[in-house]
Amino acid sequence: MKFTPELEFPGGRVKPLHYDDIDALYELYQHPEIPGQRPLQDKEHLNRMVDYSVQMAATQRGIMWAIEINGEIKGMVSGFDWQPSQLRIMMRVDGLPTLTIREREKALSVCIDFLVNKYHIRNFGYQWIAGQNEDITAMLTGMGFEHTATLSDAWRIGERTFANVAQYHFISSKDKPVPKRLGDGHDDDYSPGQNLNGTSVKGGE
Amino acid sequence: MNWNFETDNYIIRLPVSDQDGDALYSLLSQQTVVDHIPRMAMTLEEQATDELRRIAMRFESREAAFWLIERKIDGQLLARIGVQHINWMMLNTQMQWELSTECDLAVLTEVIPAILNVLKDDLQLRRVEMRVRAGNVEQKQHLEALRFEHEGSLPSQFEYNGEDVNLDIYSVILD
Repeated sequence: MKFTPELEFPGGRVKPLHYDDIDALYELYQHPEIPGQRPLQDKEHLNRMVDYSVQMAATQRGIMWAIEINGEIKGMVSGFDWQPSQLRIMMRVDGLPTLTIREREKALSVCIDFLVNKYHIRNFGYQWIAGQNEDITAMLTGMGFEHTATLSDAWRIGERTFANVAQYHFISSKDKPVPKRLGDGHDDDYSPGQNLNGTSVKGGE
Repeated sequence: MNWNFETDNYIIRLPVSDQDGDALYSLLSQQTVVDHIPRMAMTLEEQATDELRRIAMRFESREAAFWLIERKIDGQLLARIGVQHINWMMLNTQMQWELSTECDLAVLTEVIPAILNVLKDDLQLRRVEMRVRAGNVEQKQHLEALRFEHEGSLPSQFEYNGEDVNLDIYSVILD
Protein backbone atom coordinates (compact mmCIF):
# COMPACT_ATOMS: atom_id res chain seq x y z
CA MET A 1 0.00 0.00 0.00
CA LYS A 2 1.28 3.45 -0.91
CA PHE A 3 0.86 5.99 1.87
CA THR A 4 2.85 8.85 0.34
CA PRO A 5 1.53 9.67 -3.11
CA GLU A 6 3.10 11.61 -5.93
CA LEU A 7 1.44 15.01 -6.17
CA GLU A 8 1.81 17.38 -9.11
CA PHE A 9 2.01 21.15 -8.88
CA PRO A 10 2.69 23.74 -11.57
CA GLY A 11 6.38 23.42 -12.43
CA GLY A 12 7.12 20.28 -10.45
CA ARG A 13 5.92 17.52 -8.19
CA VAL A 14 6.47 15.96 -4.80
CA LYS A 15 7.12 12.22 -4.57
CA PRO A 16 7.91 9.63 -1.91
CA LEU A 17 11.54 9.13 -0.94
CA HIS A 18 13.25 6.30 -2.78
CA TYR A 19 16.59 4.56 -2.44
CA ASP A 20 17.44 5.70 -5.98
CA ASP A 21 17.36 9.29 -4.70
CA ILE A 22 19.99 8.82 -1.99
CA ASP A 23 22.67 10.77 -3.88
CA ALA A 24 20.33 13.70 -4.48
CA LEU A 25 19.17 13.66 -0.86
CA TYR A 26 22.78 13.56 0.29
CA GLU A 27 23.45 16.68 -1.76
CA LEU A 28 20.44 18.34 -0.14
CA TYR A 29 21.80 17.51 3.31
CA GLN A 30 25.09 19.21 2.41
CA HIS A 31 23.18 22.53 2.48
CA PRO A 32 21.39 22.61 5.84
CA GLU A 33 19.14 25.65 6.19
CA ILE A 34 18.60 25.44 9.91
CA PRO A 35 21.04 27.33 12.14
CA GLY A 36 23.35 25.00 14.01
CA GLN A 37 22.88 22.06 11.66
CA ARG A 38 25.99 20.59 10.10
CA PRO A 39 26.25 18.89 6.70
CA LEU A 40 25.49 15.17 6.85
CA GLN A 41 28.63 13.03 7.04
CA ASP A 42 27.37 9.50 6.57
CA LYS A 43 25.32 8.78 3.46
CA GLU A 44 24.20 5.48 5.02
CA HIS A 45 21.88 7.45 7.34
CA LEU A 46 19.75 8.29 4.33
CA ASN A 47 18.96 4.64 3.67
CA ARG A 48 17.48 4.51 7.15
CA MET A 49 15.63 7.75 6.53
CA VAL A 50 13.97 6.25 3.45
CA ASP A 51 12.96 3.23 5.58
CA TYR A 52 11.59 5.50 8.28
CA SER A 53 9.68 7.62 5.78
CA VAL A 54 7.65 4.56 4.77
CA GLN A 55 7.13 3.32 8.32
CA MET A 56 6.18 6.74 9.64
CA ALA A 57 3.60 7.34 6.93
CA ALA A 58 2.11 3.86 7.39
CA THR A 59 1.63 4.48 11.11
CA GLN A 60 0.63 8.15 10.75
CA ARG A 61 3.54 9.47 12.76
CA GLY A 62 5.12 11.49 9.98
CA ILE A 63 5.37 11.85 6.23
CA MET A 64 8.12 12.89 3.83
CA TRP A 65 8.18 13.90 0.21
CA ALA A 66 11.04 14.82 -2.10
CA ILE A 67 10.48 18.02 -4.12
CA GLU A 68 11.31 17.47 -7.77
CA ILE A 69 11.68 20.39 -10.20
CA ASN A 70 12.45 19.58 -13.83
CA GLY A 71 13.45 16.05 -12.89
CA GLU A 72 15.91 17.23 -10.23
CA ILE A 73 15.41 16.82 -6.49
CA LYS A 74 15.69 20.23 -4.93
CA GLY A 75 14.16 19.79 -1.52
CA MET A 76 11.96 17.93 0.87
CA VAL A 77 8.61 18.50 2.54
CA SER A 78 8.31 16.80 5.91
CA GLY A 79 5.44 16.38 8.31
CA PHE A 80 6.41 15.30 11.81
CA ASP A 81 4.92 15.13 15.31
CA TRP A 82 1.73 13.96 13.58
CA GLN A 83 -1.09 13.61 16.12
CA PRO A 84 -3.86 11.88 14.17
CA SER A 85 -6.43 11.96 16.96
CA GLN A 86 -5.81 15.66 17.50
CA LEU A 87 -5.86 16.37 13.76
CA ARG A 88 -2.55 18.23 13.83
CA ILE A 89 0.97 17.99 12.43
CA MET A 90 4.15 20.07 12.19
CA MET A 91 5.44 20.81 8.69
CA ARG A 92 8.91 21.65 7.46
CA VAL A 93 10.51 22.30 4.08
CA ASP A 94 14.23 21.92 3.39
CA GLY A 95 15.64 23.01 0.07
CA LEU A 96 18.76 23.49 -1.96
CA PRO A 97 19.78 27.13 -2.48
CA THR A 98 18.28 26.84 -5.98
CA LEU A 99 14.79 26.03 -4.66
CA THR A 100 12.81 29.24 -5.02
CA ILE A 101 10.35 30.49 -2.44
CA ARG A 102 7.57 30.11 -4.99
CA GLU A 103 8.50 26.45 -5.60
CA ARG A 104 8.75 25.90 -1.87
CA GLU A 105 5.30 27.36 -1.36
CA LYS A 106 3.69 25.30 -4.12
CA ALA A 107 5.24 22.08 -2.82
CA LEU A 108 4.15 22.74 0.76
CA SER A 109 0.71 23.77 -0.38
CA VAL A 110 0.04 20.62 -2.40
CA CYS A 111 1.14 18.46 0.55
CA ILE A 112 -1.12 20.35 2.97
CA ASP A 113 -4.06 19.97 0.59
CA PHE A 114 -3.44 16.24 0.46
CA LEU A 115 -3.23 15.91 4.25
CA VAL A 116 -6.43 17.94 4.69
CA ASN A 117 -8.40 15.87 2.22
CA LYS A 118 -6.96 12.42 2.87
CA TYR A 119 -6.32 12.46 6.61
CA HIS A 120 -8.60 15.32 7.73
CA ILE A 121 -5.71 17.12 9.42
CA ARG A 122 -6.85 20.61 10.40
CA ASN A 123 -3.95 22.14 12.30
CA PHE A 124 -0.63 22.63 10.50
CA GLY A 125 2.27 24.03 12.50
CA TYR A 126 5.52 25.40 11.12
CA GLN A 127 8.54 26.48 13.13
CA TRP A 128 10.79 29.15 11.66
CA ILE A 129 14.12 29.35 13.44
CA ALA A 130 15.80 32.73 13.75
CA GLY A 131 18.58 32.83 11.19
CA GLN A 132 16.65 31.04 8.46
CA ASN A 133 15.69 32.85 5.28
CA GLU A 134 13.19 35.52 6.30
CA ASP A 135 11.34 35.15 3.01
CA ILE A 136 9.97 31.92 4.46
CA THR A 137 7.96 33.89 7.04
CA ALA A 138 6.36 35.99 4.31
CA MET A 139 5.61 32.82 2.38
CA LEU A 140 3.88 31.30 5.41
CA THR A 141 1.68 34.31 6.09
CA GLY A 142 0.85 34.49 2.39
CA MET A 143 -0.36 30.89 2.60
CA GLY A 144 -2.66 31.65 5.52
CA PHE A 145 -0.35 30.66 8.37
CA GLU A 146 -0.58 32.87 11.44
CA HIS A 147 2.36 33.72 13.68
CA THR A 148 1.08 32.48 17.04
CA ALA A 149 4.08 32.47 19.37
CA THR A 150 7.78 33.22 19.59
CA LEU A 151 9.57 30.66 21.72
CA SER A 152 12.68 32.10 23.35
CA ASP A 153 15.86 30.05 23.04
CA ALA A 154 13.88 27.02 21.96
CA TRP A 155 16.41 25.91 19.35
CA ARG A 156 19.94 24.99 20.36
CA ILE A 157 22.59 25.95 17.84
CA GLY A 158 25.75 25.36 19.87
CA GLU A 159 27.02 24.10 23.20
CA ARG A 160 25.35 26.97 25.08
CA THR A 161 23.95 29.11 22.27
CA PHE A 162 20.31 29.17 21.28
CA ALA A 163 17.94 30.72 18.75
CA ASN A 164 14.34 31.83 19.07
CA VAL A 165 11.65 29.91 17.24
CA ALA A 166 8.68 31.61 15.61
CA GLN A 167 5.76 29.23 15.57
CA TYR A 168 3.12 29.51 12.88
CA HIS A 169 -0.18 27.68 12.51
CA PHE A 170 -2.60 27.21 9.67
CA ILE A 171 -6.05 25.95 10.66
CA SER A 172 -7.97 24.39 7.79
CA SER A 173 -11.51 25.62 7.34
CA LYS A 174 -12.66 22.14 6.34
CA ASP A 175 -15.18 20.58 8.73
CA LYS A 176 -13.95 18.02 11.22
CA PRO A 177 -14.66 14.40 10.28
CA VAL A 178 -17.84 12.91 11.69
CA PRO A 179 -17.49 9.41 13.18
CA LYS A 180 -19.35 6.77 11.18
CA ARG A 181 -20.08 3.08 11.55
CA LEU A 182 -17.27 0.68 10.78
CA GLY A 183 -17.26 0.00 7.08
CA ASP A 184 -19.20 3.09 6.13
CA GLY A 185 -17.60 5.87 4.22
CA HIS A 186 -15.90 3.80 1.54
CA ASP A 187 -17.12 6.29 -1.01
CA ASP A 188 -14.76 8.93 0.27
CA ASP A 189 -12.11 6.39 1.31
CA TYR A 190 -12.40 7.31 4.96
CA SER A 191 -13.66 5.23 7.84
CA PRO A 192 -12.75 6.18 11.37
CA GLY A 193 -14.03 2.86 12.62
CA GLN A 194 -16.96 3.24 14.94
CA ASN A 195 -19.29 0.28 15.07
CA LEU A 196 -22.22 1.80 16.86
CA ASN A 197 -24.81 -0.90 16.29
CA GLY A 198 -22.54 -3.91 16.14
CA THR A 199 -23.21 -4.80 12.51
CA SER A 200 -20.44 -6.24 10.43
CA VAL A 201 -18.57 -4.58 7.58
CA LYS A 202 -20.76 -3.12 4.84
CA GLY A 203 -21.83 -5.82 2.44
CA GLY A 204 -21.15 -8.65 4.87
CA GLU A 205 -23.60 -10.70 6.92
CA MET B 1 22.27 14.21 42.59
CA ASN B 2 19.70 14.63 45.33
CA TRP B 3 16.19 14.76 43.90
CA ASN B 4 14.60 15.60 47.26
CA PHE B 5 15.19 19.00 48.74
CA GLU B 6 13.52 21.62 50.89
CA THR B 7 12.94 25.28 51.42
CA ASP B 8 12.29 27.11 54.70
CA ASN B 9 8.69 25.94 54.89
CA TYR B 10 8.23 23.15 52.36
CA ILE B 11 9.56 19.74 51.47
CA ILE B 12 9.96 19.07 47.75
CA ARG B 13 10.30 15.36 47.13
CA LEU B 14 9.76 12.68 44.57
CA PRO B 15 6.65 10.60 45.31
CA VAL B 16 6.71 7.10 46.75
CA SER B 17 4.45 4.79 44.78
CA ASP B 18 3.08 2.68 47.63
CA GLN B 19 2.64 5.51 50.08
CA ASP B 20 1.41 8.66 48.35
CA GLY B 21 -1.67 7.35 46.55
CA ASP B 22 -4.27 8.69 48.97
CA ALA B 23 -2.79 12.19 49.14
CA LEU B 24 -2.32 12.38 45.38
CA TYR B 25 -5.87 11.21 44.76
CA SER B 26 -7.18 13.80 47.19
CA LEU B 27 -5.41 16.50 45.14
CA LEU B 28 -6.06 15.27 41.61
CA SER B 29 -9.71 14.37 42.17
CA GLN B 30 -10.55 18.09 42.34
CA GLN B 31 -11.56 19.39 38.94
CA THR B 32 -10.41 22.95 39.71
CA VAL B 33 -6.88 21.62 40.27
CA VAL B 34 -6.58 20.31 36.71
CA ASP B 35 -8.82 22.69 34.77
CA HIS B 36 -5.91 24.76 33.49
CA ILE B 37 -4.24 21.78 31.76
CA PRO B 38 -7.14 20.94 30.95
CA ARG B 39 -7.75 17.39 32.09
CA MET B 40 -10.54 15.41 33.74
CA ALA B 41 -10.18 15.01 37.49
CA MET B 42 -9.57 11.52 38.83
CA THR B 43 -12.66 9.64 39.88
CA LEU B 44 -11.12 6.39 41.22
CA GLU B 45 -8.39 5.99 43.84
CA GLU B 46 -6.70 3.40 41.63
CA GLN B 47 -5.99 6.14 39.11
CA ALA B 48 -3.64 7.78 41.59
CA THR B 49 -1.79 4.48 42.11
CA ASP B 50 -1.49 4.06 38.35
CA GLU B 51 -0.28 7.62 37.97
CA LEU B 52 2.41 7.11 40.61
CA ARG B 53 3.67 4.02 38.83
CA ARG B 54 3.58 5.82 35.49
CA ILE B 55 5.57 8.82 36.66
CA ALA B 56 8.10 6.52 38.35
CA MET B 57 8.67 4.87 34.97
CA ARG B 58 8.88 8.20 33.20
CA PHE B 59 11.44 9.32 35.76
CA GLU B 60 13.45 6.15 35.18
CA SER B 61 13.52 6.87 31.46
CA ARG B 62 14.70 10.45 32.12
CA GLU B 63 11.74 12.02 30.33
CA ALA B 64 10.00 13.52 33.36
CA ALA B 65 10.28 14.28 37.07
CA PHE B 66 7.37 15.16 39.32
CA TRP B 67 7.71 16.40 42.87
CA LEU B 68 5.19 16.53 45.71
CA ILE B 69 5.19 19.75 47.69
CA GLU B 70 4.48 19.20 51.38
CA ARG B 71 4.15 21.75 54.15
CA LYS B 72 6.73 21.05 56.87
CA ILE B 73 4.58 21.84 59.88
CA ASP B 74 1.81 19.35 59.13
CA GLY B 75 2.93 17.24 56.15
CA GLN B 76 -0.04 18.47 54.09
CA LEU B 77 0.32 17.91 50.33
CA LEU B 78 -0.08 21.34 48.73
CA ALA B 79 0.81 20.65 45.12
CA ARG B 80 2.39 18.42 42.55
CA ILE B 81 4.89 20.17 40.32
CA GLY B 82 6.84 18.46 37.61
CA VAL B 83 8.70 18.69 34.35
CA GLN B 84 8.08 16.47 31.35
CA HIS B 85 8.99 16.17 27.69
CA ILE B 86 12.57 16.92 28.69
CA ASN B 87 14.52 17.52 25.49
CA TRP B 88 18.12 16.77 26.37
CA MET B 89 19.34 17.89 22.96
CA MET B 90 17.63 21.29 23.00
CA LEU B 91 17.98 21.58 26.81
CA ASN B 92 14.36 22.49 27.39
CA THR B 93 11.37 21.06 29.18
CA GLN B 94 7.70 21.65 29.93
CA MET B 95 6.63 22.33 33.51
CA GLN B 96 3.22 21.31 34.78
CA TRP B 97 1.63 21.93 38.12
CA GLU B 98 -1.48 20.95 40.01
CA LEU B 99 -2.07 23.30 42.93
CA SER B 100 -4.40 22.91 45.89
CA THR B 101 -6.33 25.96 47.06
CA GLU B 102 -3.73 26.37 49.82
CA CYS B 103 -0.89 26.60 47.32
CA ASP B 104 -1.01 30.31 46.65
CA LEU B 105 1.53 32.65 45.12
CA ALA B 106 3.43 32.91 48.42
CA VAL B 107 4.04 29.16 48.36
CA LEU B 108 4.99 29.17 44.69
CA THR B 109 7.37 32.08 45.21
CA GLU B 110 9.27 29.96 47.72
CA VAL B 111 9.09 26.64 45.90
CA ILE B 112 9.46 27.39 42.18
CA PRO B 113 12.89 29.08 42.38
CA ALA B 114 14.19 26.03 44.26
CA ILE B 115 12.92 23.74 41.50
CA LEU B 116 14.29 25.99 38.75
CA ASN B 117 17.68 25.96 40.44
CA VAL B 118 17.74 22.17 40.26
CA LEU B 119 16.75 22.27 36.60
CA LYS B 120 19.51 24.76 35.86
CA ASP B 121 22.36 23.61 38.08
CA ASP B 122 21.86 19.86 38.17
CA LEU B 123 20.10 19.12 34.89
CA GLN B 124 21.76 21.92 32.88
CA LEU B 125 18.45 22.88 31.25
CA ARG B 126 18.06 26.26 29.59
CA ARG B 127 14.39 26.81 28.84
CA VAL B 128 11.37 25.89 30.96
CA GLU B 129 7.95 26.42 29.48
CA MET B 130 4.40 26.11 30.75
CA ARG B 131 1.37 25.49 28.57
CA VAL B 132 -1.98 26.36 30.12
CA ARG B 133 -5.47 26.68 28.73
CA ALA B 134 -5.73 30.08 27.08
CA GLY B 135 -7.36 32.84 29.06
CA ASN B 136 -6.91 31.41 32.56
CA VAL B 137 -6.43 34.58 34.59
CA GLU B 138 -5.18 32.97 37.80
CA GLN B 139 -2.53 30.96 35.95
CA LYS B 140 -1.44 34.05 34.08
CA GLN B 141 -1.04 36.00 37.31
CA HIS B 142 0.95 33.22 38.97
CA LEU B 143 3.23 32.72 35.99
CA GLU B 144 3.92 36.38 35.40
CA ALA B 145 4.63 36.93 39.09
CA LEU B 146 7.15 34.10 38.85
CA ARG B 147 8.84 35.89 35.89
CA PHE B 148 7.55 33.56 33.20
CA GLU B 149 7.04 35.46 29.95
CA HIS B 150 3.96 35.03 27.81
CA GLU B 151 5.14 33.96 24.34
CA GLY B 152 1.85 33.51 22.52
CA SER B 153 -1.00 31.08 22.15
CA LEU B 154 -0.99 27.79 20.24
CA PRO B 155 -4.38 27.21 18.59
CA SER B 156 -6.50 24.05 18.53
CA GLN B 157 -4.02 21.81 20.30
CA PHE B 158 -6.64 19.20 21.20
CA GLU B 159 -10.33 18.71 21.90
CA TYR B 160 -11.70 18.77 25.43
CA ASN B 161 -15.37 18.54 26.29
CA GLY B 162 -16.22 19.12 22.66
CA GLU B 163 -14.21 22.31 22.33
CA ASP B 164 -10.94 23.09 20.61
CA VAL B 165 -8.41 24.06 23.25
CA ASN B 166 -5.88 26.81 22.68
CA LEU B 167 -2.85 26.77 24.95
CA ASP B 168 -1.09 29.89 26.20
CA ILE B 169 2.63 29.36 26.27
CA TYR B 170 4.92 30.90 28.90
CA SER B 171 8.61 30.39 29.45
CA VAL B 172 11.50 31.29 31.67
CA ILE B 173 15.12 31.17 30.56
CA LEU B 174 17.57 29.82 33.11
CA ASP B 175 20.64 32.03 32.64
